[in-house]
Amino acid sequence: MTRHTQQPNRLARGGRVDRSRTLNFTFNGKRYQGHAGDTLASALLANGVDIVNRSFKYSRPRGIVAAGAEEPNALVQLGSTEAAQVPNVRATQQALFDGLTAQSTNGWPNVQRDVMSLVGKLGGRFMPPGFYYKTFMAPASLWMTYEKYIRKGAGLGRSPMERDPDSYDHLHQHCDLLVIGAGPAGLAAALTAAHGGARVILCDEQEEMGGSLLDSRELLDHQPASQWAGRVVEELAGLDNVTLLPRTTANGYHDHHFVTLHERRTEHLGETAPRVDGYRPARSRMHRVRAGQVLLTTGALERPLVYAGNDVPGNLVAGAVSTYIRRYGVVPGNQLVLSTSNDHAYRAALDWIDAGREVVAIVDARRNPDGELVEQARARGIRVITGSAVLEAQGSSRVSGARVATIDAKAFKVTGQAEILACDTIASSGGYSPVIHLASHTGARPAWDDEILGFVPSLVAGVYAAGSARGIHDLAEGLADGSAAAARALAALGRSAGAIELPQVAARREGAASALYQVPHEKPTLRAPKQFVDLQNDVTAAGIELATREGFESIEHVKRYTAMGFGTDQGKLGNINGMAIAARCLGKSIPEVGTTVFRPNYTPVTFGAIAGRHCRELFEPERYTAMHQWHVEHGAEFEEVGQWKRPWYFPQKRRAENGEQRMETMDEAVARECLAVREAVGILDASTLGKIDIQGPDAREFLGRVYTNKWAKLAPGRVRYGLMCKDDGMVMDDGTTSCLAENHFLMTTSTGGAAAVLEWLEIWHQTEWPELDVYFTSVTDHWATMTVTGPEARKLLAEITDIDLDRESFKFMDWREGQVAGVPARVFRISFTGELAYEINVQANYAMHVWKTLFAHGEKYDLTPYGTETMHVLRAEKGFIIAGQDTDGSVTPEDLGMHWAIGYDKPNSWIGKRALTRSDTKRSDRKQMVGLKPKDPKVVLEEGAQIVLDPSHAIPMPMVGHVTSSYYSPTLESGFALAVVKGGHQKMGDTVYLPMVDGQVHEAEIVSPIFLDPKGERQNV
Amino acid sequence: MSNAQQFDTRPVVDNESEIAVESPLAFSRHRSGAPKAKADTRVTVRERAFLGHLVLRGGAIVLDEALREVVGLGLPGEPLGLVQDEGGKRSIQWISPDEWLLIVPGGEEFDIERRLREALGDAHFSISNVGGGQTVLELSGEAAREVLMKSVSYDVHPSHFPVGKGVTTVFAKSTVVLRRPSEERWELVIRRSFADYLYRWILDAGAEYTIGVEG
Repeated sequence: MTRHTQQPNRLARGGRVDRSRTLNFTFNGKRYQGHAGDTLASALLANGVDIVNRSFKYSRPRGIVAAGAEEPNALVQLGSTEAAQVPNVRATQQALFDGLTAQSTNGWPNVQRDVMSLVGKLGGRFMPPGFYYKTFMAPASLWMTYEKYIRKGAGLGRSPMERDPDSYDHLHQHCDLLVIGAGPAGLAAALTAAHGGARVILCDEQEEMGGSLLDSRELLDHQPASQWAGRVVEELAGLDNVTLLPRTTANGYHDHHFVTLHERRTEHLGETAPRVDGYRPARSRMHRVRAGQVLLTTGALERPLVYAGNDVPGNLVAGAVSTYIRRYGVVPGNQLVLSTSNDHAYRAALDWIDAGREVVAIVDARRNPDGELVEQARARGIRVITGSAVLEAQGSSRVSGARVATIDAKAFKVTGQAEILACDTIASSGGYSPVIHLASHTGARPAWDDEILGFVPSLVAGVYAAGSARGIHDLAEGLADGSAAAARALAALGRSAGAIELPQVAARREGAASALYQVPHEKPTLRAPKQFVDLQNDVTAAGIELATREGFESIEHVKRYTAMGFGTDQGKLGNINGMAIAARCLGKSIPEVGTTVFRPNYTPVTFGAIAGRHCRELFEPERYTAMHQWHVEHGAEFEEVGQWKRPWYFPQKRRAENGEQRMETMDEAVARECLAVREAVGILDASTLGKIDIQGPDAREFLGRVYTNKWAKLAPGRVRYGLMCKDDGMVMDDGTTSCLAENHFLMTTSTGGAAAVLEWLEIWHQTEWPELDVYFTSVTDHWATMTVTGPEARKLLAEITDIDLDRESFKFMDWREGQVAGVPARVFRISFTGELAYEINVQANYAMHVWKTLFAHGEKYDLTPYGTETMHVLRAEKGFIIAGQDTDGSVTPEDLGMHWAIGYDKPNSWIGKRALTRSDTKRSDRKQMVGLKPKDPKVVLEEGAQIVLDPSHAIPMPMVGHVTSSYYSPTLESGFALAVVKGGHQKMGDTVYLPMVDGQVHEAEIVSPIFLDPKGERQNV
Repeated sequence: MSNAQQFDTRPVVDNESEIAVESPLAFSRHRSGAPKAKADTRVTVRERAFLGHLVLRGGAIVLDEALREVVGLGLPGEPLGLVQDEGGKRSIQWISPDEWLLIVPGGEEFDIERRLREALGDAHFSISNVGGGQTVLELSGEAAREVLMKSVSYDVHPSHFPVGKGVTTVFAKSTVVLRRPSEERWELVIRRSFADYLYRWILDAGAEYTIGVEG
């Protein structure tokens, strides 16, 4: 057969690649060519690239072993630019595109001559099995040090340091039946369900649907199997009730048939999504599927045999050899030795000889193999050596020979003299393991099946497995099994499946497989050359044996001790072999040893796909008030309060001493805003406060039960402050509630507490007091609220309202309705600043008009917008609490000194009353709210600072409380704070101390928390 | 009588009143713009601003009777139901077992509330005007459903979400009332404070389909 000059291992014909389309790519800085339809792995093999990586621990040269998701070695770093870097891409699953640039993940400066290899030869001594286990057990602080060096040396790929140019997406999907895997069973199942009219999703992780049919030697309806697959896929694509998702991995099976499917939409086209009409489509998409029923047709993974030197490049699993030849037209070598324990693997030798290359021998562990494929091989003149296995691969950077001898697998002994067969490729097959990963995500423990020599999935209700995924490897049986499983799944939903005609498959006689995992060596395992079990993590048979000798008997412990299956491949190739070795060492059977289970994700998923469009500007909702644009235009700095963006302060330009303009600092802005409110008039956007409309004849009674204070006599037109406790007697939220009419109240809550308070009211109404006739409706967003406050507030408001603002007719804690700036408004005379204040509420669509009108009239009063920081200072000067800042769920109204807001003598009980009468809540040494006045007025105490009575006490000092709020007051010209102190109410005038991290100790006097205008004269003017 | 306070929050518009009214999307249009529909536009979004929104709570039988009398439209007969009058201008949507959302042309809501209160008499109910707190976005076009699939976990397949259905559901990281008044159109009733986030989300999710903003 002629050879492609550029690609020495490319066949002239055959496979599913398009030889008319040549694609250029770069691997480790060298340019190569491949074809459309190649994976990076098949293109590398076509070009005769043997070494694709260096191993994790020993830095040994490694080649491509498999052809799919199970590949442990061929991990590459993808990307020609910094922004496009993607770590740990499996070359076997990366479609080739023109311009692809990849580098080996491990091995610096290059994989051929690795400076780490010397270290690698010694590496085993530094990192014996159990290294991670023992290191984790060591002081955790040391791990940080180790890890840095291990990662650097091992090189597990790296993240891009620049912003990802791509976008990602989520799509919520629903279906009757989700079929995972589009091999023979999956295609038959999807067709069956689709014909029944069910909503079907069929996903498959490969570039092309068809699974094993794409490289099978068998015929369906007397034609190549891939033709039948193509026809079925085409038919399914034309059906409205079917969603086909190629290049889509079912990476996680979560509760209640919620399955996440990771679809790679553009990764086969380029390293970033190519622009289409100026738009860059999502690079990958996470389908979040809620399925009625789920069918796993995930196939099986071939197990390699474990023998000495089985990691030298040129060692492949047998099925991968067939895949590369039949699907990609690539023969990964010249002279093949096949070591097998079953019939099925014989096809690798037949494909190899069909490709025109030499099969040196088939080494079969069975004494008398006699299946049809065995007969075919013999008929083709291939030498079949029975009762034997490859003991050892020879060579270092590429296989140069295979040592073969007769063995006694049960006795784990080599029984004959070894013969050396010269070859450059060794394919091995120890049987087939159903892909049980997704089933095991559901928590169902897989079960060992002696018949198929593999674990089969256990299935929770609503999950089905068919075909190879449950050990039915025969093609005809697998097709029928898929169709039948789909019918069962639909029946469970009360639907009937459609009839489909399954293709004709020639019956084939297969001999029984024998159980072989680790091949014995002349030397004992601990002394034999390395026999690798987990290639990605460099776990050897000797390592597992050592683990069992050190007393690790549970397979979960063996796994953690050796790090078997810890790699990005989750031990897809090696785990079962590892369990079999552990079982041998422990003198147990495999089912006795059991298996480890798998966690999501089946293969790694990019963070982009997990985040979807929930990133950057759309990471979190931002809630805006109706005046937001004004705040932005007036240079507000914003504070996040829950999801709200509230103006924090409004810095202004001021002239510095040198005459230049500069922006105010936050402290300067806040001081200016505070003084404006105390001396003239300020305005705050208070729209974010929660507002709940409460209607019903029992509204008043309900309020009496959820608030600690009394509501029986609050007349229409009046407003009252209320405190709300949880049933443990601790303050939950506070706010004012207004009586709008006899059966109608408007409750306000804190900004952050709005949703929780509404939920709280509904819970108590629905579960405890359904007999009360009352309804609650959130009107937070309907009303915009602006607080006009300061000595000039009345004059300003009077200019634009028809409401009589006379101090006698519109008193403190009254509300009135009328017009403000021509807009109907409810105006509440309540105050959170301690100054004369009016809270104007208007329908939010008109709020901007009212706000701007206030400013149009406000100039002569020096109307100053202020933000949340100033609001905090002003309220703290008055000793007004903020629930959640001055309280933390352990503070009672009594602790706050708010006895006046507790109605112990109300006729009905109320939430928290019982708890407030407990001895613990009555203790006199509870932490109680007080004011703190630093002895040095320049000091602003740190919020959270701990308070002690004796700073000379040996550490640990007894701590008696902490600062909850602390600011500088331009009015008091001093720092001041609110704090909770044990027994604080009885400690007025005492001195306390606040030791700081830097060794300073601040001194402060305990004072009343009301720093300004204790009689409330300013708000009553 | 219900003995609740009723308050018309709309200004009386007389002699070319200069009272500016701003929809919840005023800032968003200013900041994010409003791409015009193009030839290849497969989804369009349109705001139906300044409608009258009333939240009705109470017993179904009395509310149904009063609504028939006042609005000429009864409650939807089933949970998750949406009914509309012939022109689609007035609609009533089931929200929860004792809660419905009545949407009417802007300006009708005060009078309707007054007449409903009269008709309901001593029955126990509540009517809350929430028109300033929410707005309606309409999605249409062949890709409208896919934009929704990107945004809500609820199943919006026609077999599961026929015309005349409405749900309250999670939308991105917010909440919307989602309803399907006709074959071609979906409506999102969104809260004012979340409107900008939702608008930006929809523009971003719809970019793939050359989303256009109408009106």
